Amino acid sequence: MSEKTLSRRDFVKLAGATAGGAATLGSTGAFRALSAGEAARLSQQSTQIKYTADVMCPAECGVMVKVENGVASAIYGNPHVPYNAGTLCAKGAAGLQLVYNANRIKYPMIRVGARGEGKFKRVTWDEAIAFIADKLTAIKKTYGPEAVIMDAGDVTDRDTYWRLFFAFGTPNCTEHGAICDTPRRHGPRLMFGGKRVEPDVMRPVLLRQADGTLKNDYSYRTKLIVYAGWNPFTATRINYESRGTVGAKVAGARIIVIDPALSNTATKADRWIPIRPGTDPDLFAAILRYVLEHDNPKDPSRSYIDWTFRDKSVGWDEFRAAFQSWWAKKDPANNLQYFTLEWASERTGIPADTIAELAHSFGITKPAAFVWGMHGTGHHYNGYIASILGTTLNVITGNFDAPGGVIDTELTKSDKGGSATGKSFLARPVKRVVGGKEVQGKQDELHMDSYGDWPAAWDDVVGDYPRRMLKGVTLKQGPFRGRTYPIKAYILRTGNSVITGSATWRWQEALTARDGKGNYNVDLVVYVDTPFLESGLYADVVLPEASYLERVSLSDVYPSHPVIWLRDFVIDKQFESKTPFEIMNALARALHARGDTDIQPADFWEKYRDEADFWTEALAGAPGKPNVGSPLPYPRYPEGYKIIGTPDSLEAGRVTIDDEKKEIRGERVTVKWLREHHGVAVWPMSYFRYPGGILKTSSKKIEFKWDWTEATDKDAKRYGQYAKYNKLVEESGSVPPGIAALGWTRYPSTFYWFETWWNPYSNPAYAKYKKEYPFQLTSGRIHHAMSGTQMVDWLGRMPAEDTWLPINDAVTYQEVVVGADGPTPTGRTLRLPANTWAIAVIQMAASDARTLGLKTGDLVELANPLGQTARGKVNAVETIRPGVLRVAFGGGGRFSPGLGRNFYFKDVTPNHNDLVDPDDLSPIMGQPAYADMLVKVRKV
Amino acid sequence: MASNEVTDRSAKPDAEASRREWLSVAACAVVAGLALPAVPGQVLPADAASTRPDGENLTPLPDLPEPVAGEDPILRMLKDLRRALKKPVEERRWVMAVDLRKCTGCFGCTIACVTENKLPPGIAYRVVLTETHGTYPNVSRHFTPTACMQCDRPPCTSVCPVGATWKRPDGIVVIDYDRCIGCRYCIAACPYNARYFDSGHFYGDYEGGQLQPYETVAAHEYRVDRVRSRRASPVGNARKCHFCLHRVEQGELPACTVSCMGRATFFGDANDPKSLVAELISGPNVMRLKPELGLEPRFYYLM
Repeated sequence: MSEKTLSRRDFVKLAGATAGGAATLGSTGAFRALSAGEAARLSQQSTQIKYTADVMCPAECGVMVKVENGVASAIYGNPHVPYNAGTLCAKGAAGLQLVYNANRIKYPMIRVGARGEGKFKRVTWDEAIAFIADKLTAIKKTYGPEAVIMDAGDVTDRDTYWRLFFAFGTPNCTEHGAICDTPRRHGPRLMFGGKRVEPDVMRPVLLRQADGTLKNDYSYRTKLIVYAGWNPFTATRINYESRGTVGAKVAGARIIVIDPALSNTATKADRWIPIRPGTDPDLFAAILRYVLEHDNPKDPSRSYIDWTFRDKSVGWDEFRAAFQSWWAKKDPANNLQYFTLEWASERTGIPADTIAELAHSFGITKPAAFVWGMHGTGHHYNGYIASILGTTLNVITGNFDAPGGVIDTELTKSDKGGSATGKSFLARPVKRVVGGKEVQGKQDELHMDSYGDWPAAWDDVVGDYPRRMLKGVTLKQGPFRGRTYPIKAYILRTGNSVITGSATWRWQEALTARDGKGNYNVDLVVYVDTPFLESGLYADVVLPEASYLERVSLSDVYPSHPVIWLRDFVIDKQFESKTPFEIMNALARALHARGDTDIQPADFWEKYRDEADFWTEALAGAPGKPNVGSPLPYPRYPEGYKIIGTPDSLEAGRVTIDDEKKEIRGERVTVKWLREHHGVAVWPMSYFRYPGGILKTSSKKIEFKWDWTEATDKDAKRYGQYAKYNKLVEESGSVPPGIAALGWTRYPSTFYWFETWWNPYSNPAYAKYKKEYPFQLTSGRIHHAMSGTQMVDWLGRMPAEDTWLPINDAVTYQEVVVGADGPTPTGRTLRLPANTWAIAVIQMAASDARTLGLKTGDLVELANPLGQTARGKVNAVETIRPGVLRVAFGGGGRFSPGLGRNFYFKDVTPNHNDLVDPDDLSPIMGQPAYADMLVKVRKV
Repeated sequence: MASNEVTDRSAKPDAEASRREWLSVAACAVVAGLALPAVPGQVLPADAASTRPDGENLTPLPDLPEPVAGEDPILRMLKDLRRALKKPVEERRWVMAVDLRKCTGCFGCTIACVTENKLPPGIAYRVVLTETHGTYPNVSRHFTPTACMQCDRPPCTSVCPVGATWKRPDGIVVIDYDRCIGCRYCIAACPYNARYFDSGHFYGDYEGGQLQPYETVAAHEYRVDRVRSRRASPVGNARKCHFCLHRVEQGELPACTVSCMGRATFFGDANDPKSLVAELISGPNVMRLKPELGLEPRFYYLM
């Protein structure tokens, strides 16, 4: 059939997805602005492409949204953002169904029933704000502003809320990091001042070339990646690890995945090593011992250690001595010497020769990346140790910040936030009466964790909030020690702590507890979000926040070099939702009107005319990274100076060099600049950006010791990441309960070891449970349908690994949708046929299922030694280690009608956090040890 | 309440069996009164042929720094594609290739396609099959993205009683929704299960009963703007992947190709020896599904 030209409609549509800049090919185009013609094209047509940042998950990929006649109609990856380089996962593409979900919170609401009952009435914004402001004002007067918690929840864009509440006077502002994976971050934090070690597989990376030009480098250099307890393909949290891992593999790298379950990442591994849950530190310790014992610089096949690391670090001798001090000791759990292959094999369930091969492979292969993950290390009581050992392994083998090695992406990402976040308010002097005496200190010193039970919890302790809600806060460190205060208000924004913040039942108890007069202990609970999740059921006031396509802010992600992109207005705000910026100002005005002098117009509505103003201030220091490494990002500027300003101004030489402050200051990055440059700013990558440089440790070197003193002629100076906390503890004489439980009186000055909880294979205290509770319960991330996105139909129809499967029973139900007055029956009766809708299930080894007489689809009850239970259907598969059950985190037992169809399966899907031990908070940072638990299985 | 009832006659308990049940809910079922033939007088192309882009309306290419040690595959494919568009349609040979070593099983392509083509419940042109083999600990799992294979000897076109589906000179098998009478012979004839019947459901049916705003926006399949409604094509028609012909002819890559998280999906003109896709499918590690049927599919897999 030949081609036919037809007269149809006028197809003047921007049908394509990749509307980009107008530069010609081959230019150093990343810095080129949209041409006038292109800008006009984007703004005039009824079909537009808008650049923004995703928030379906914290990967926050750079996206382009097609908007047709005002409706967002498709979402694509933005190819100008090297973090995702135009790619987008199912969740990112499915954002339309979150933004346009029938269950969105549409109007402000005030609770009319009891907490948890789900009865609300629609109110005006003025009424809602007045309600909150009245309560906050009264609480502040009676108990002090520190009695208010501002929890900025599960996704980003916390800055406006933090600013407001820091100004209000509370230091207790947090976000989801505290219940994410803090033990996993501990090693990099102690040793680099960083947080997040990722493989060097983000491609392209922008590199300075020998001829002075900047080019996008696409080559994969890594030869081996070990992922321990990390499943980037399913998490997609670090977007580039999907294409980067398979890209590196096809380019010749070997991939090893250590995971109790055959994760999607494991499907692409050259080797899958199914480890017993909670034994990652044991494996890592055995690898380190093997590397230390077998390293031979003279034998090329045994030359594991790159000893030049000693020039760039301090404390190795102390660390090694402390590590080796365990070698001769015998483990009471198995009567074997610590950290030997046999010892680790006994604990991890991995054959000793496999561990030896793994250690040898990692030691000898260069460059290589040893990467550990959230569930494998972050969710165990002793996860810190795995994190410290993993960091050590990368450093001593010469892979830290080496091409093809690992990068601490916390240290390399662009700075943002600056003074917009309001942290300067924390330095305000405040007075409180303690023991009858007036004491002066700083606002920050009222922090319930840092000066209470968790001084070293860098990311706050959300998992321990319920206890403080029930029993109050007692400050134990700092100038206000001895002061007690209650928690009277909990402002939760885009989080769902009832489901994700440790044991669900403990949160329910805390939010519904009443005092002797019948009033709720926590006097005010506010829930601010776009979807209506379980925590909203416990709120007194519910506020509809504009979705991520309806607001402005900045990405907050973990690329290998500084890259930042804009979240921008894409569509009109839906229903009566307001942006975080508008909510900040509305509440600030209301508090100011009630006489709160801590809230000044000059800090809020007079300071920022609009959202762009606010986020431009947050960009003031970007990228804020030193001009260091190889190749040097800006060879024309002084090495070591801090780089500030737009990529184009830095490239063109439109800079001021401040020798005093050691800064290279180009033209400031602004929201306007980002809007004119495909929404993104990209600065050059380099390697070996230490010592000095990017490290944020006290000695500016990699630190293997964490509290030491160096005497000079004049005085003695204390160094190390734990020094500050030990000083507090020494002053107060009060040992934080977390470490007191370990028998410690201070934070250790170098390598330490202790066992995890609820693991009968490594901790003798739990051996007695082994027989009655034969299964270890671990959690898996089902990226498609986690806490905040289960109402998205497209994701609900698709399976995810083995924990999210369309094996539902047929149900007929009366539909409930979140309406103007909260959850409301629509009058429709719907029937969902069997096997058509993915639900959270319990992944169980097929051999275990056979032993128990179970088959896929059977409903069982899981019970733990604490007497807690959860129900779900079994998925009997070959893809998990026998003796281990895996349940999707946040996957089941979801009891908010705002969850859409999953709500109707709440009684037959397991909520992992019904079974977590709320007192199993990891001892230094208080992260809930979600993956430490034993259960038994009973068919129901 | 009949129209609100969610029914499924095709549900199968075996999750690995095929594509239908994943995205299928339901909507594969025919609800009386919804499976209407096209309404004459609406958007009526004589058939689903192509119009050559004039080259001036192409959106600019992504504006990326010069590459070293490799190149951006999307940019390369876009350049390949636009070069092909300068040739007469008969000289283009569109093919797709998926590198199975790089598919991460994210299902992003499935959703990118659903949103691009405004597909209703029960229809997904691009489905990723998951297969698991072995017993613990010797287990493997494979992801196989599938779509219409755009066979060079398509078994689906000849069975159409009204000539509503045919193979274009550039190789894409198309459906003229306005001619299709919804008999479903072609669906039965396809050995790859790549064709679907549009039963007229909307996602809004399942949540609150109101159409979701993106369901009120026109899809641009075959470069015809159609707002899907219960009473007009493509409801009541057979539907399938067309390699995003509407995007391709505007100089853009198929939605599955651009979104692919593993950068596993490739698209282009196999007649152009300089194209990336021609390079890839000339390797020794290439296979196609069901080659024994002799249908000459244009969907290649790299192993």
